[in-house]
Amino acid sequence: MAKRLLIVLALFLLAMMFWEVAANYTERTALTPIATHYVAQGPDEVGAPNLVTAVVVTYRGLDTLGEVTVLFLSAVAVGLLLTMGGLDQKAEPPTPASEIVETAVQYLFPIVLLFGAYIFVNGHLSPGGGFQGGAVIASATLLLFLALPRSKLRHALLIITESLSGFGYVLVGVLGLVLAGGFLDNRVLPLGDYGRLFSAGAIPVIYTFIGLKVGAELSAVLERFKGEAS
Amino acid sequence: MIELPLSTITLGTGFGLLLIGLWGMLVRKNIIRMVIGFSLIDTGIHMIMVSLGYIRGGTAPIIDAAVDRATALTAVVDPVPSALVLTAIVIGLGITAVMLAYAVQIHTHKKTLSIDDCTDSKW
Amino acid sequence: MVEALGNPLNLIIVALGVGFLLPLIERSSPALSRGLFNLTIIYQAVLPLLWLLWLVNGAAAQQIQTAGIAPPFSINLRLGLEEAFFVAGVNLASLLGAWYLGGLLRGRAAAMSVFLILSMGVDGMIMTRDLFNLFIFIEITAIATYGLLSLERNAATLTAGFKYIIATSLASTFFLLGVMLFYYLTGTLNIDGMREQIAQVQGPLGMVAMSLLVAGVVIELKPYPANGWGLDVYESAPTGIAAMVSVGVSAGALFALYKILPLIEPFLPALVVVAGTTFLASNIIGLKQNKVRRLLGYSSIAQVSLLALAMVLLTQLHREDAMPLVIGGLFLNHLLAKAGLFWLSGALQRNAVEDWRGLRANPLLLAILGLLLAALAGLPPFPGFWAKWELVMQLSAGGMVSWVALILVGSLLEAVYLFRWFGRAMSPGVQLTPAPAVAQLLPIVLAVLGLLAAGHYAADSLGLDTLWVLLPAYAGIALVSIDGLPTRPKGLITLAIVAYYAYRVVPVLEGLTGLFGLMLLGGGLLMTAAGLYRGDTRRGYYALLTMLLLSFGGLLQADTSLEFFLAWEFLTVSSYLLLCMGRDAAPYTLAYLIFSLAAAFLLLAGFGLAYAETQSIALADLANVKDGAAAVLGLLLLGFLTKAGALGVHVWLPGAYAEADDDFSAMLAAVLGKAAVFGLFLSVISLGLKGGGSDVVMYLLSWIGLLTAFFGALMAIFQEDLKKMLAYSSMGQVGYMVAALATGSHLGWVAAGYLAVNHLLFKGLLFLVAAGIILRVGQREMYKMGGLIHNMPVSFFGMLIAIIALSGVPPLTGFGGKWLMLNALLEKGWYWQTGLAFFASAVAFLYLFRMIHTVFLGQRKRIHKDLRDAPLALLIPQLLLVFVILALSVQPNWLVNPIAAIMASHLPQTLVMHGSLMQSGLGYWDGFLVINVVGAVFMVPLLMLLVLSRFMRVQRVKQFNIVFAAERPESPETTHYAYDFYSFYDRALGFLVLPRATAFWNGVAEWSHSMGTGLRIFYTGNGQTYALYILLYVVTLYFAVGGPS
Repeated sequence: MAKRLLIVLALFLLAMMFWEVAANYTERTALTPIATHYVAQGPDEVGAPNLVTAVVVTYRGLDTLGEVTVLFLSAVAVGLLLTMGGLDQKAEPPTPASEIVETAVQYLFPIVLLFGAYIFVNGHLSPGGGFQGGAVIASATLLLFLALPRSKLRHALLIITESLSGFGYVLVGVLGLVLAGGFLDNRVLPLGDYGRLFSAGAIPVIYTFIGLKVGAELSAVLERFKGEAS
Repeated sequence: MIELPLSTITLGTGFGLLLIGLWGMLVRKNIIRMVIGFSLIDTGIHMIMVSLGYIRGGTAPIIDAAVDRATALTAVVDPVPSALVLTAIVIGLGITAVMLAYAVQIHTHKKTLSIDDCTDSKW
Repeated sequence: MVEALGNPLNLIIVALGVGFLLPLIERSSPALSRGLFNLTIIYQAVLPLLWLLWLVNGAAAQQIQTAGIAPPFSINLRLGLEEAFFVAGVNLASLLGAWYLGGLLRGRAAAMSVFLILSMGVDGMIMTRDLFNLFIFIEITAIATYGLLSLERNAATLTAGFKYIIATSLASTFFLLGVMLFYYLTGTLNIDGMREQIAQVQGPLGMVAMSLLVAGVVIELKPYPANGWGLDVYESAPTGIAAMVSVGVSAGALFALYKILPLIEPFLPALVVVAGTTFLASNIIGLKQNKVRRLLGYSSIAQVSLLALAMVLLTQLHREDAMPLVIGGLFLNHLLAKAGLFWLSGALQRNAVEDWRGLRANPLLLAILGLLLAALAGLPPFPGFWAKWELVMQLSAGGMVSWVALILVGSLLEAVYLFRWFGRAMSPGVQLTPAPAVAQLLPIVLAVLGLLAAGHYAADSLGLDTLWVLLPAYAGIALVSIDGLPTRPKGLITLAIVAYYAYRVVPVLEGLTGLFGLMLLGGGLLMTAAGLYRGDTRRGYYALLTMLLLSFGGLLQADTSLEFFLAWEFLTVSSYLLLCMGRDAAPYTLAYLIFSLAAAFLLLAGFGLAYAETQSIALADLANVKDGAAAVLGLLLLGFLTKAGALGVHVWLPGAYAEADDDFSAMLAAVLGKAAVFGLFLSVISLGLKGGGSDVVMYLLSWIGLLTAFFGALMAIFQEDLKKMLAYSSMGQVGYMVAALATGSHLGWVAAGYLAVNHLLFKGLLFLVAAGIILRVGQREMYKMGGLIHNMPVSFFGMLIAIIALSGVPPLTGFGGKWLMLNALLEKGWYWQTGLAFFASAVAFLYLFRMIHTVFLGQRKRIHKDLRDAPLALLIPQLLLVFVILALSVQPNWLVNPIAAIMASHLPQTLVMHGSLMQSGLGYWDGFLVINVVGAVFMVPLLMLLVLSRFMRVQRVKQFNIVFAAERPESPETTHYAYDFYSFYDRALGFLVLPRATAFWNGVAEWSHSMGTGLRIFYTGNGQTYALYILLYVVTLYFAVGGPS
């Protein structure tokens, strides 16, 4: 009971802190100098209409590489934890889905994959990008597992995709170092015509790598959680 | 009545979610529920992040037909928090996945999901 | 190409590129992936080392930008001297760690990737200059750790891992929130940009922002009590991983703190409290811990908080210039020593401290353990020693005396639990596990070598004549390498080395140091020579003995307090280890070390205070201390008195002197004790005559000295054990010297010097005689001896001379000493003290009589019929000492004149000498008064005993009473007349010698342990509770520093 009281007290005090923030917060009416630079110079410097993408892939590209790394690490960690006899093998066999679902998924699956790819290649133009696209691809896998619990992914393909796209991303970054201004500079390729698919330098390439990598990794994570149960 | 700015509302909601998540994490004994608490905390943080980058009346920072370059400076929200939140979401996802994997393993080894039974080492 | 390979950004690029590829490569060729991993991890370690080298040699700090766009619009990193140092350290540890982990990683490309990325993550934490990017690297490091923790699959590791995730993810959540608020307030994420905009970080939002940012980083540093999750991981993780968490991840967090310090100015005082509390609490709780890995966990947390404490305090003092030595030294020390110990505990697969018994059977492992522990405890020549020295000096100079005290107390506690562990390893026991593989030991050995090299470098950076001041350590190490030789040749080599050293050093010493040079080095040589009687294997004995003797030289030649303290610590370490070699010494070694270290820390505190006032570490400048003279004098005297075994802090002494090897006991009591006397001399000469508070200190000193003399003698008379009796006797004799020094007069100091020389002669002689007796009889209990005069006439003669010299009756040297001392006391007008001195001398007669009577006279035991006298190797030094005593008795002026001349350079000479007779020396003294006091004081105990014996039932028992009564006594020793020889005095005076000091110190120990029990009550093991602590920590920080407006 004392502990419960302490929890209430701690949360109350934390709420007081938050209240201080919320009560003294004023909505901003102008961009910060840095955001101003991004908005004013971004289209010329990076060539991507989607400024969030410009920030994500180029201006703060190192963050994004780190983000990819985090995802890679968690996929590996889940792998390390759940392989080698981790999961309870005596789980009940999953109930198969109805035929309608099974059939629908077979049609939906490629379309969802395609949609994912669309999202990541257009990341510099419209809302979306590598992570979003990758997540959509993984959702296709999830759909597959829900409908066909016995389905298996091709591990070799997953690992190759994961490794090569990760390595490719780093390589493009290094090319920036060699050919352009610095590590992860997207201007290794010409910026092209503003607003076109093939523009914004290496951003679509990077987002493709990220999309593939995220899709493969999240799929692998999903499969590991699904376990060997079949 | 005072009209609350939009971002204050989302900010407050974010803080509320954070506190609810913390409550779940601190009170619920089931590890899975604790992980859910963490997810709520995470979501709360993301809302706070986005709120802090909001510019009054701003729209998405995508400079295309809808927002031309000339007016963009006054028309869009700060792209930085949006970019950061994307990163934060992915990281949160990664941590949640690892937490769940740990939960699975703990259940395999201890046949329980209660955090109170996870006191193998202390002092 | 070369330039491309040297790009600091490669630390991130290569680790990631290889990390991503490894799982793929392993599918086709496991060997290739292994090779690539090795290559990468070596590259990761070499690159920052090269940069460190370039930067030290003047290269400019590297500003690394990304994306081809200048900061603050893009993320930038920095590789300056401090970054390069930390990165190099961490990557070196991960290289050695990977080597150590070999087996665990083999065939697991995924784990290898994670390991690579873990150290990359820490590198990023150190190098990045962007706050959000810092968050990313924190998360990379965290998740990589989560992954590696799962390499060991048992319930404890898994639950600990889960708690770790909960805690660190909460911490980073708060950190992220803080970062976002900072962005909101300053409009930038660049740390340097924020520093420029720091004025914006104010008001209620600024307060919350700062507290969240601080909390996020501080929790990563595992502050007490919100750190149970960290300890659980240290305890249950695979040792290689725990080592990485302890040194790598903590290093990253520490550097993160360093980076944000300018952003959170108002929180600096709170940080100091947090770090100080954690340091002290962890070390107190560590006392209770009996599992090695958790012990290392407590030590890790303590060391990291010490680093944080030092960092913040130096920032507050604006002494950033001291940071390289202090932070660098402490960090490197923690890095290599802690990692090495984690690896060692893993390689030997021993977790419970008890299980380390019997490690002494393997000298290599024992040496590794000892060196690593010594490094961790901040002993020389390791970097932690220099760092702690500099830290104490800087803090003292900044007036932060209470923090100095906290750091020293905490360090002492840490040394206690670390060396208790070593004590176990030195205790006899069975060798349980087979020796570990060489491949696993190599990284640990490299860590030790790295520590030695770093220590050498640190000494260089202080501008010392490094080779010379570290000579004792290096000579010791060199002699270890010939440890395989038979014992006697090693002894001869030691003698040759030390003799040559003394030949070079002693002649250049002048005055007081010259006198003590002769005593310490001459006496040391003689005792070493006497030790040649032993031909059994004595592993490491002569190496350590060389170290000890050369440290005497260092002590005498020291011009600065640093050199003095260094030599002093060498003495402490080497004598402790030599003591450890005593067969039954194990129960007493820890007390010896604790009191020795406490003494050293008192000295350090004293030197610090002196430095604060004079801004100089020259010993000569001690005399320039004015305002703090009494405090400095008090601290120095306390330190030296502890080492000399003054009453109250003498509890370590009897055990140590009695249980050391017999020849080493002679060294300890006769020679090493004089080092403390030298220190006492040094203190009173520099500071004793300042008037004011110093006078009070000196007056107290006189009582301490005489009470020590009295109680030492009193306790000696009740000892059954020959060596223990001599030990207490030594304690009492030192008391006289202390009292004589306290007079602060020329006469008194001459007396002190004279007593010191004399004590060296007769106590050395007595211990050597005792060594011979014990060798022949195989016993230390005196009542089991008797009548040995027939078998050991030379030894008897030696003891007789020594006893007469000790007792202070004419005609031998002792008389002169007593005469000088009593005169000095009287001259000062200290009549009560004079009385006590007389009384103590009278008591001394009792034990002297008992010793010679019980051992050499009376009936000889039948089994001792065929004993021979001691071996020649022992007798020759004895005879030499006898000869010197006799010579000085005939010509006391040979001794008094030089001493008087030495003291005359410090004080106006009051002792005047005419010709060779010293009686004619003193001009004015009230001889009548002296005689009266002497008479009175001899009468008092006499009357007292007469009165007491009247009222007590006195029973006269013949020796064989009980046997003649045809009774079989229950415990046969009680029938021996010599058993409990002075039982009647025991009844009269025994109440005075109840072990009060021992009881007191035991009480202190118990109290500390119960403190530990009380403080660790927070560690319930429940992850949810730990999360609550973290939350409470955050809000407490906020409300303690500012709170809502």
